[in-house]
Amino acid sequence: MTVRISTSRVLGRHGLLLLCVAVTCFPVLYALLVSTFDFQQIFIYPPRLIPGTSLLENVRLAWTKVGLGRLLANSFLISISVALGKIVLAILAAFAFTYFRDFPGKNILFVVILITHMLPLPVRIVSTFQLMDNLGWVNTYYALTIPFFASATGTLLFRQFFLTVPQSLSDAARIDGAGPMRFLTRILVPLSYNNLMALFMVEFVYMWNEYLWPLIVTTSNEMRVAQIGIKMLVATDAQAEWNVIMAGVILVMLPPLLILLLFQNHFMRTVTFGQEK
Amino acid sequence: MSRRWKVLGAALVTILMLSSPVAAQVKIKLWHAMGGARYDAITKEISAGFNKLHPDYVIEPLFSGSYAETVTKGIAAIRAGDPPHILQVYEVGTQTMLDSGEIIPVTDVVKPGEIKWEDYFAPIMNYYTVGGKLSSMPFNSSTAILYYNKDAFKKAGLDPEKPPATYKDVEEMGRKILASGAARGAITFGWPAWMFEQAFAYHNQLYANNENGRKGRATQILFNGPFGVEVLTRWKKWADEKLLMYGGREYAPNKAFLSGEVAMLLQSTSQVTTIEKAAKFAVGTGFLPHLEGKPQGKSVIGGASLWVLKGKGRSPQELDAIAKFFKYVGQAEQSAKWHQDTGYFPATHSSEKLLRDEGWFKKNPNHETAFKQIQAGPDTPATRGVLLGNFVQIRNITDSALEKTFSGRLGPQVALDEAAQEINKVLEEYGRLQK
Amino acid sequence: MAMEGRFPNRTLPYLLVLPSIVIVAVFLILPSLQALYLSLFEVSPFGTRAIFVGLNNFREILTSDDYRFSLRLSVLFAIAVVVLSMSVSLGMAVLANKPLRGIGLYRTFLLWPYALSPAVAGIVWALLFEPSSGLMTYLIRLTTDRSPNWMMDANYALLVIILAAAWKMLGFNIVFFLAGLQSIPGEMIEAAQVDGASPRQTFWRVVFPILSPMTFFLFIMNSLYAFFEVFGLIDVMTQGGPGGGTEVLIYKLYQDGFISIRWGYASAQSIVLFILVSTLTLLQFRYAGRRVFYA
Repeated sequence: MTVRISTSRVLGRHGLLLLCVAVTCFPVLYALLVSTFDFQQIFIYPPRLIPGTSLLENVRLAWTKVGLGRLLANSFLISISVALGKIVLAILAAFAFTYFRDFPGKNILFVVILITHMLPLPVRIVSTFQLMDNLGWVNTYYALTIPFFASATGTLLFRQFFLTVPQSLSDAARIDGAGPMRFLTRILVPLSYNNLMALFMVEFVYMWNEYLWPLIVTTSNEMRVAQIGIKMLVATDAQAEWNVIMAGVILVMLPPLLILLLFQNHFMRTVTFGQEK
Repeated sequence: MSRRWKVLGAALVTILMLSSPVAAQVKIKLWHAMGGARYDAITKEISAGFNKLHPDYVIEPLFSGSYAETVTKGIAAIRAGDPPHILQVYEVGTQTMLDSGEIIPVTDVVKPGEIKWEDYFAPIMNYYTVGGKLSSMPFNSSTAILYYNKDAFKKAGLDPEKPPATYKDVEEMGRKILASGAARGAITFGWPAWMFEQAFAYHNQLYANNENGRKGRATQILFNGPFGVEVLTRWKKWADEKLLMYGGREYAPNKAFLSGEVAMLLQSTSQVTTIEKAAKFAVGTGFLPHLEGKPQGKSVIGGASLWVLKGKGRSPQELDAIAKFFKYVGQAEQSAKWHQDTGYFPATHSSEKLLRDEGWFKKNPNHETAFKQIQAGPDTPATRGVLLGNFVQIRNITDSALEKTFSGRLGPQVALDEAAQEINKVLEEYGRLQK
Repeated sequence: MAMEGRFPNRTLPYLLVLPSIVIVAVFLILPSLQALYLSLFEVSPFGTRAIFVGLNNFREILTSDDYRFSLRLSVLFAIAVVVLSMSVSLGMAVLANKPLRGIGLYRTFLLWPYALSPAVAGIVWALLFEPSSGLMTYLIRLTTDRSPNWMMDANYALLVIILAAAWKMLGFNIVFFLAGLQSIPGEMIEAAQVDGASPRQTFWRVVFPILSPMTFFLFIMNSLYAFFEVFGLIDVMTQGGPGGGTEVLIYKLYQDGFISIRWGYASAQSIVLFILVSTLTLLQFRYAGRRVFYA
């Protein structure tokens, strides 16, 4: 039964939605605007609303001032590694918990993995840092990636998904004489495509935006990540060059945004899917 | 046949020649906290200049963030067993470095006679000399001075060439400034805890026991005595009359001064070049205001110095490289240029002479103010500067106490008493760990 | 759900969970236990000396003015962020749930702040409120004749970080609220309308109760975010200032641990945070049931 809505209501809805979009977008649009200014234009009052022409120059300045290229590369490296690492470990663990006859300690191990949710970084930050120190991993890619490979979220996600896969599939696989690993790689993984993409997106964005851990665990400029680059752009005791800072911020902001746009549908599908319980 | 051997021989010799300087090049890592304009100065001028002069030695400067971050990283590197050769540590880190057991005093690195120590200014040497040894190399020393907005003074009907000399002046001039609408606030300061320490040194009062921690480790803070309370009460009065616009910690108040919101600023002289460049008004400077009726002391050295870290042991070449670098940094031209680029003191008499002969101070009178200020006054433990363990924490506690007073949450005596109690505990904890 | 279709291998499952278990044990559980251990000591900055002080660090935390202030500030901040972000995003989700041409495009634009980091959100809002010429500063001066200066006034600083933090979470909240709204059977809405309920009554009496598990889930997630993930936001803007006015617990932990270099004291603080997060997480497990959460 479709209800015909009056034109004015439709317009009203568009208007409200535009207002909502304005709220979510205007801060970044303003940042983009300022990134086109030269230094003088930043401090014009009342604030100038017409774009300037210095965007490329500011990007160049931001790039060279903190070595943004290297920082972005580092962020890419660790975000992709961690996202992939988490997916692999989560699938393997979820598979073990779902498709095998109960093995001793199964529940304990499951709880152990879930406990990670109660142990976010701040709870163990000093001692994890010291562990890195002892392992000699301070200021290395190892410290930035390996501690993040385990994922309670991912394990739960895949386990819940696996529980919905029709039993007939695994039955058929066993009858065909296929081993569990073949079942996993040939059947389950392709089926999990949406979840895979969704988790990849979530973990990539999460790692890209991680700030505190890279701050304390990296000491040299070559190892730092894009987020810390923002801080490096701001850290000055003179007047902050907002135009250059914003140019850098736009660059740091783009990759996760692109990933979000690319994977958005997978993400939405998984969330809504999760609702149908 | 012989031709082939000749070519081979030539190639071999060339390879040997090319590889030897590379093999002999000694790399010295320097971790520092000089951002902004100072970054260019330390990287492009000082380090590049030294490297050119000494091709066997390479100084590799690495910007490591703020002073606090640089120290933390240095400590982490020490624990990991691979510290840089030279670490720039701010003055509040002095006690921590001294107690670390990880440093080589400068007097042990530099051979006698290699550097003319008499050329260096006494206050600077005195700050970093402990137990008869120069523990770290003076590099960027500053002190606090008063900046003021000459245009605002004119608008308020004040003589733009006469900055306030006493607390009373600050009050009277400040009231005129507010009344005339020349600015929204009369005075503000950065690094409030540091300003508090300055007040003590400036009036020859001890900040902590054991002669400011120079005779033995400081175990008690003394700032909640009558003098401290009087200073804080005056500052609170300024805040209540809206003369004092509290500007937050560190460099935040600079913005208020630069935008013209506040007419006077107590701040480090290391900012003088930056402030002069950024201000859209005529900037004047003067001595810190004096509290009437109190003795004459001297303002205290701030900034940072260069510490040599032991690591797993330094080779004679490394030590020589470091010594030569220190000598280079102290040369008249280098020291003078560093001063011009930043505002930090020219560290030696000969660099001062160089600047004077160039007429630099005549053209840039604001750069001379801090200089004159540290030379006018006695040399006592109170004016040498206080050494405290866990100084960073103590500064935070002090900042909090000052802020609580300004906001009216606590009275000056109570705030200082509470802070003193907490600080004494911190000092005690520190002392325990050092035994 | 019976799973007879299970594989009989005995050792393979152990091998499959081994990587996860190893990582969790070495990098999460072990350091957490060490944090507990370390919290009972006073440790010198260089790690050379450690003195056992029992519960002294905890006593210091409980009696420290600074800590209690930070705790109150964090709770206030969290409540403000959670309430603001969730209410606004619920409204937006309701709007985004209506059938409309181009709704997909709107949803994309509503969702996208999710990709931003707290640090980016912080710096962007710091710019908006730039004391001399920021856009928001200008608007506020126009409308209220006040001059907000977050660099000097702790109240404004707090306001700006609340706005930045709440704004950043809008995308995340909208996605989940939207999913929740879309899972409400259309018949229930129609039934309510047939019964003569107004849109407002329909919302509060029918939609909102059904949405409550999702609301609770988001409440927990937003709270965890407000306590633990806003570090970057504060570090690029106020660094805990002015005057400690934005020094929330996670920032104080960083200060005490990595700036003042008091390892033992900072570890004690992290234990307190652990108590906080486990309370929230346990609540979530109990009441939100088997829900997928995206950390």
